[in-house]
Amino acid sequence: MEKELTMPKLRPEMENGVLCAWLKEEGDTVTAGEPLFEIETDKVVNQIEATESGVLKKQLFEEGDTVNVETPVAILETK
Amino acid sequence: MLTVQNLSHDPFYNQAFEEFVFQTFREDDVFLLWQNTPAVIVGSYQNICREVHVETLRKLGIPIVRRMSGGGTVYHDLGNVNYTYITSQDGLVDYDRCLQPVIEALNDIGVPARKNRTCDIAIGDRKISGSAQHSAGGRLLHHGTLLFQSDLAVLDKITTHHKNDCFQSKGTVSAICSVTNIADHLAVPMTLEEFRTRLLDRMVPPGSPRLTLTPEQEAEVCRLRDEKYRSWAWTWGKTPAFTYEKSGTFAGVPIRVAYQAKKGMISDAVIDCAALDGAEAARLLNGSRLDPEGFAGICRALVGKRAEELMDWLL
Repeated sequence: MEKELTMPKLRPEMENGVLCAWLKEEGDTVTAGEPLFEIETDKVVNQIEATESGVLKKQLFEEGDTVNVETPVAILETK
Repeated sequence: MLTVQNLSHDPFYNQAFEEFVFQTFREDDVFLLWQNTPAVIVGSYQNICREVHVETLRKLGIPIVRRMSGGGTVYHDLGNVNYTYITSQDGLVDYDRCLQPVIEALNDIGVPARKNRTCDIAIGDRKISGSAQHSAGGRLLHHGTLLFQSDLAVLDKITTHHKNDCFQSKGTVSAICSVTNIADHLAVPMTLEEFRTRLLDRMVPPGSPRLTLTPEQEAEVCRLRDEKYRSWAWTWGKTPAFTYEKSGTFAGVPIRVAYQAKKGMISDAVIDCAALDGAEAARLLNGSRLDPEGFAGICRALVGKRAEELMDWLL
């Protein structure tokens, strides 16, 4: 099953965040709780973790891209 | 609330110390105070060359250290006191939760501080403290500077006068703020040592755990310092991708320099200038690391005694 991970809304005023770094590459196996990517907003660097175990199927943005909140960032293939 | 004593003034060690405490003390709230000898500390996702003049810092012997939190570039010296506040986190960004206790503590010990903007502390309209955060695994690290008696002239010179527009790049750009020292605003004067002691006593009341690292833990911090914070991969390899272009006059003739860097590796390098061998320049630069020492070597190979002058065209 495919599962989308989105840019989280971390403050009520937050409109977008910068995808700073991918911590996993496409095809990598990830376990629930493992960090997948890093975002920065309002001087906070946040590690976003996989909510379920699976394989990182697709990175939908490149490092450095500004992404609106609630937009899909990654697709995870779960069992 | 507990504290872990850190007497080191080494900026690389201190970043590693903070990360180690963040990873190791998972249950309690932690408050740390620490100080650095002169150093430039850049945000996790910044282009160093765009923020500061790397050659000036190299000549002054001031190291550049990348930290794990977001935000902009700051200058530390021994007149500045850094604090770190580690706590649990529900996933939302909330600066007030960490800033308010610090501001109250400052007020209690006679510093007329107030919150300013999202995450600054000010006296009047001038900033005495900036802060930034890193969150991972349900834990939050909030840290900030406290300008007590810093050399503001050096701070100004290093962080504001050398913005470099030759870099076209994503990444976090620093804000420029008017700053002041806490020591200039005290009704009853105190020394920096008294300031540290009183602030710590207020944040971590006597009777709360005051810990020191074991020798094994210190060895871990040193390993992290050497393998991460002193590494090229962390400091320069994390530079957001950019394109660089600069043109003007070198050695009396026109020069145009252009290159790209991705994950800190140089490509598409061009130095167009009659005073040097352009083909050799491209050969040396392409595939090389974005690294001031390496660039200095390339400049020496290309133009010998004029290397320093050429460096100004490359970064």
